[in-house]
Amino acid sequence: MKILTTVKKVVDVELNIHVENGAIVEDGLQYVINAWDENAVEATVQLKENNGAQTTLVTIGGPDNTDIIRRCYAMGIEDAIHIDDSSLEKADSYVYANVLQKVYEQGEYDLIITGKQAQDTDNGQTGIILAQNLDIPCVSNVVAMEVLDDQHIKVSRLGDAGTEIIELELPALVTVTDSINEPRLPAMRGIMMAKKKKINVMDLAGLGTSFEEVGGNDLKSEIAEYMTSETRQAGQKFEGDAAQITAQVVNLLATEAKVL
Amino acid sequence: MAKVLVIADIKQGVLKGSTAELLSKAKAIGAETAVVAIGSNIESLTSELANAGSDTQYIADDPSLELFSAGPFASCVVDAAKQFEANMIWFGFSEGGKAVAPRVAAQLSCACATEITDVTLSGEQIEVVRPATANKVIQRIKINSDKVVAVVRAGAFEASPDITGTQNVVKLSSPAPDLKAVIKELISDASGEIDLADADIVISVGRGAKDQAGIDLVKELADDLAAGFGSSRAMVDGGLMAHNKQVGQTGKIVAPTLYMAIGISGAIQHLAGMNGSKTILAVNKDPEAPIFNVADYGIVGDLFEVVPILREEIKKLRS
Repeated sequence: MKILTTVKKVVDVELNIHVENGAIVEDGLQYVINAWDENAVEATVQLKENNGAQTTLVTIGGPDNTDIIRRCYAMGIEDAIHIDDSSLEKADSYVYANVLQKVYEQGEYDLIITGKQAQDTDNGQTGIILAQNLDIPCVSNVVAMEVLDDQHIKVSRLGDAGTEIIELELPALVTVTDSINEPRLPAMRGIMMAKKKKINVMDLAGLGTSFEEVGGNDLKSEIAEYMTSETRQAGQKFEGDAAQITAQVVNLLATEAKVL
Repeated sequence: MAKVLVIADIKQGVLKGSTAELLSKAKAIGAETAVVAIGSNIESLTSELANAGSDTQYIADDPSLELFSAGPFASCVVDAAKQFEANMIWFGFSEGGKAVAPRVAAQLSCACATEITDVTLSGEQIEVVRPATANKVIQRIKINSDKVVAVVRAGAFEASPDITGTQNVVKLSSPAPDLKAVIKELISDASGEIDLADADIVISVGRGAKDQAGIDLVKELADDLAAGFGSSRAMVDGGLMAHNKQVGQTGKIVAPTLYMAIGISGAIQHLAGMNGSKTILAVNKDPEAPIFNVADYGIVGDLFEVVPILREEIKKLRS
């Protein structure tokens, strides 16, 4: 089984993020591998270890995506395709999906695994749009995966009514959520090996396409501006005798906040 | 003139509140409204769907639609959207909505926006507003395509009390089943439990509760208040709380009148799921826990000591 895993480099959401003049302030931002893509990578490596799957990651971004590629190598991914084209700095889910489609069509992949959403945009659309465009079955919000045979996998999806057990015919695409696994910390040996591994880097022309062809000049939506999120302020914090402070707070909830 | 198609949120045969909320907003922006309802044995909901504010009801009612399946559900929505000539297609916040919306957008070749909190129409120009980056920033997005498919954030719109609609049913033909993604089994969430999305009060339990005894203790408080009972990721990962209880960036996003975070430290991903709540109460042993940065009222203390006192005080208050 050949697996293609998508990985995105995103802003670290643990840090403070500031908005000025309608744009996010770059200064002080740090970038990390998207948390849910890390789950996707872990799921992929487990399929390699348990089922002998061949593993390839694809990432779209600038030269500084190299460190997340090496981290994925250290976790156990075997090959990487890095699409580095500055025109893609301005892209939407459709453009990413179109680029990924080009990559997919150049390999003979049985399964595409993506994270449920990217923690910078929180959109959760790219994988589903890609599957729709490829006309392959797709299940999102997956928390468990099992290989049944060469042509089928079984997944558990967290739906609104409960957990759905779904059998998929390959090729297929799944998006995974963080409950699926705990991504491993790469061992030192893996990290050392990763430093020497080759990465297949190319721009859109190298991929056999162009910004125009992937829809770059025809974005269906654009971010007009960023605004600061109204951060909640800390309210009143009470320390001391439990009985006393709890009674005080209940009184405030009733009289001040009027929610009880 | 805007034409908004709202996907009815039906759970176990019951029409959920988001449908009226979305239809109210649609009418508020001057749009013509329609609703598409997909499921099995749902014809009886027609008048409710009209009263919720829709002037046309597209109904896809078939036994094959009893269980959710993204492909067939998307086909029904696309069918209704094309018949209605909708330029906006709105889903209430749900896992189903998030799974179907991008499919519909891709089939209609139009923009897709997830978790919108507002939508405006100036002439032909549609704009939406939505949070991003774990709720740390807000994006204002210009829609370039002539249509937009959106999933609306829970509680973003308010249902208008004097909303009305007209009964005008259009039956949709049953979609082809998805032969390549077959549901083998549905493991139902415990029924009879209060839906976190609907609850006025939500009480969530975190790692501070330690184990089942702690969870049971906090659950009693939730039962006292007929509150929704939620969880941080830690307790879900530990197998002590069900997946559908997880409040957070990829779990349930709630905005109740009162949210109690009991034994929860306040990780960014959890905050993203509840910091829209009207009032937040936090109970945590650690005075430096990040949850206190967003709580309106914070009690620094051991939940095993505090929760029984909370129950007692609330009982006193109510008598």
